[in-house]
Amino acid sequence: MAANARSLRGLPIAAYLALLVALALAAAFIAVMAVVLWLPPRPPDVMRADMVSEHFKVGYEHMRAVGRPIDDHGMTWRVQAEAPHQRHLPQMHPTQHMLAGELDLQPNQVRIAAAQIQRSDVFVFRVRDAHEAARDARREVERLRREGRRGQVVVRGGGEPEIHVDADGAVIEQGFEIRVPEPLPEPGAAPVPRRRHAVSVAPSPPSPPAAPAPRAAVFAPAPPGTVLISGFEIGAQLPDGRWLVMRQGRNWAELSWIGRATVIIGGTLLILSLLAVWFARRLTRPIRNFSDAVQAVGVDPQSEPVREEGPRELRGAARAVNTMQARLRALIADRTKTLAAVAHDMRTPLMRLRLTAENAPPEQRDKMAREIEEVEALVASFIAFARDDPAEEARVRLDLSALLHSIADDHAEAGRNVSFTSDERVIITGQSLGLKRLFSNLVDNALKYGASARIKLRREENAVIVDVEDDGPGIPSDQRESVFEPFVRLNAEGTRGAGLGLAAARSIARAHGGDIVILDAEHGALLRVTLPS
Amino acid sequence: MALMADTPQPPHVLIVDDDSAIRDGLVDVFTRAGFSASAAADVAAMERQLAAKGADLIVLDLMMPGEDGLSACKRLSGKGRPPIIMLSALGDDADRIVGLEIGADDYLAKPCNPRELVARARAVLRRARESEGAVAPGESVRFAGFRLDIPRRELVDPDDVVIPLSAGEFRLLRAFVERPQRVLSREQLLDFAFDNDADVFDRAVDVQVSRLRKKLERPGSIEIIRTVRGEGYLFAVRPMA
Repeated sequence: MAANARSLRGLPIAAYLALLVALALAAAFIAVMAVVLWLPPRPPDVMRADMVSEHFKVGYEHMRAVGRPIDDHGMTWRVQAEAPHQRHLPQMHPTQHMLAGELDLQPNQVRIAAAQIQRSDVFVFRVRDAHEAARDARREVERLRREGRRGQVVVRGGGEPEIHVDADGAVIEQGFEIRVPEPLPEPGAAPVPRRRHAVSVAPSPPSPPAAPAPRAAVFAPAPPGTVLISGFEIGAQLPDGRWLVMRQGRNWAELSWIGRATVIIGGTLLILSLLAVWFARRLTRPIRNFSDAVQAVGVDPQSEPVREEGPRELRGAARAVNTMQARLRALIADRTKTLAAVAHDMRTPLMRLRLTAENAPPEQRDKMAREIEEVEALVASFIAFARDDPAEEARVRLDLSALLHSIADDHAEAGRNVSFTSDERVIITGQSLGLKRLFSNLVDNALKYGASARIKLRREENAVIVDVEDDGPGIPSDQRESVFEPFVRLNAEGTRGAGLGLAAARSIARAHGGDIVILDAEHGALLRVTLPS
Repeated sequence: MALMADTPQPPHVLIVDDDSAIRDGLVDVFTRAGFSASAAADVAAMERQLAAKGADLIVLDLMMPGEDGLSACKRLSGKGRPPIIMLSALGDDADRIVGLEIGADDYLAKPCNPRELVARARAVLRRARESEGAVAPGESVRFAGFRLDIPRRELVDPDDVVIPLSAGEFRLLRAFVERPQRVLSREQLLDFAFDNDADVFDRAVDVQVSRLRKKLERPGSIEIIRTVRGEGYLFAVRPMA
């Protein structure tokens, strides 16, 4: 018991599983922590109503100037014949009126709808710095150039500075230079002249001090009375009676946030799954080794003992198998020893008798020799049956027709009537000694009950069929199964043998995946052996 | 006895068996057959006798108290020992193969016909005398892609397919393999490959040779056993151990 406790190391499977679960939880925790710590807060998809209305104004002017909706990836723009549905939203009235005024429209020519409206004085807005403002101004000038127009661009950044860019070049202000490389030729049909073009969506802080533009982003509280909206739709009637509608698009900033969160969580999951695969292999490898080793023990009791490794349960099982294998080996050794002793103790007196018979007159000597041979045949069949172990002999590829030929020839050489006819070469996989014993037993049996044996071999699909026929009295149909049982003889009187030949033959055939059956024959017996090809 | 006439002194047979009745009986049988014979009760006594006067042939029992026959045979192998015939109470094919693989020149199961034992003793002695080309017992011989497994009495073809041989075919092929590239007459082959007392004729040699040829026949290969008209047969390839 002490030895058992000492060497049964290794964790129980439950511990491995608990460890795996703990690892998974830890990884999930780390992923969440990473998201919380490394990612900035998710940007809101609410917007300031005044800024949205400003933005719409830009789009509306663009539409009127160019005749098609502005290309804008934050919002979706379209032109439609019928007016958007009018909704009664009191909080939106100021915005609506203001927008109508700015666009020179009647208030009922402007429609504003929003899924959510709230007033908030607590939101803090990030304000673009001069860098960003200058970049935007440059882009705007470029865009105007592409469209073949000239104009002045004013970018209102986060307070100071305002960057003025005229159509021919850049005005350097606060150290930023925005340049339009060369003046454009005056277009023939100049569109509506525009003096100001606002691209800003960021608010102006209430009253920032006149200071150099900060390089970093700055934050500023929303002006009092700011209305925040989301899921909005703004429509305004165009001079031709159609309506221009702007709808809030996808929140791209949120998408990139989701993308980054996905990368963090996905990365953690990937690492975790790699870890899980490694862990699972580590846990199951001893189990696979164990199964292989147990199989080897099943085939060959002399094989290596099973290694005690892996989880504690498996070590216990391996130990049990090793104990069993040791006992099996001892049993086999015992059996081999017993059989050898039996063979020695029975054959030694037979040999003595045989030598004594040499001194007898020739007539009696031959008679004694025959009797001794008979007893010897009995002893041989007992021992062969008792030590029969179909798994012991190795399997080889074997020429079955040559095997049957050699059996027939050996009998023929001894003057017995055994024939084999086949011109075909049939190769099967099997035990050379085992198959020889199988067919020798059948032929011996045929010669015992009849005077001759005929062996026929033919090949069928997936099988090889060997018929052994004799010209004896045949086997009654009610005994065709029982003759395969050990120690069963057809008629005890006058026949020799222990009744083990057919039993041994069938067990060999079955160990090869085949069988032996007795079939109806015109006269005599017909035994059919089927072996897989 | 033609054999006895050739040798001035009769060959000496040493019989090793723990059963005294068998020892005495076998000494009797061999003496009557024209050998000189002595007996030992165990391996130690056998070694004393070998050291004292040697022997031309040992008939060795397998199961004996003390050191058994197999281990004695294994130990004696390889140092110019006399040929050994195992006489064993274990008579299975598997036992016979183990005995032959360990180096016994022949293997007989008890109870055997004493005259057959004497015949085998003569065959073993003759093979030992014609040491030229003789194949060590317990080994295999290769020729033309084939392998003749002496202990198992099997032929293995170039594709590793086992081709079982009948007793007659095996003896004939062994006789050919041990005397390669030499014309052998039908009488010689009868002498080598058939039991002396067997009632066989020259025709039987032809029948066995044709059977063997059929088993050695492979498409596109050379003729391994050639007919020499009016003289006999010739094993045309050189075997390797």
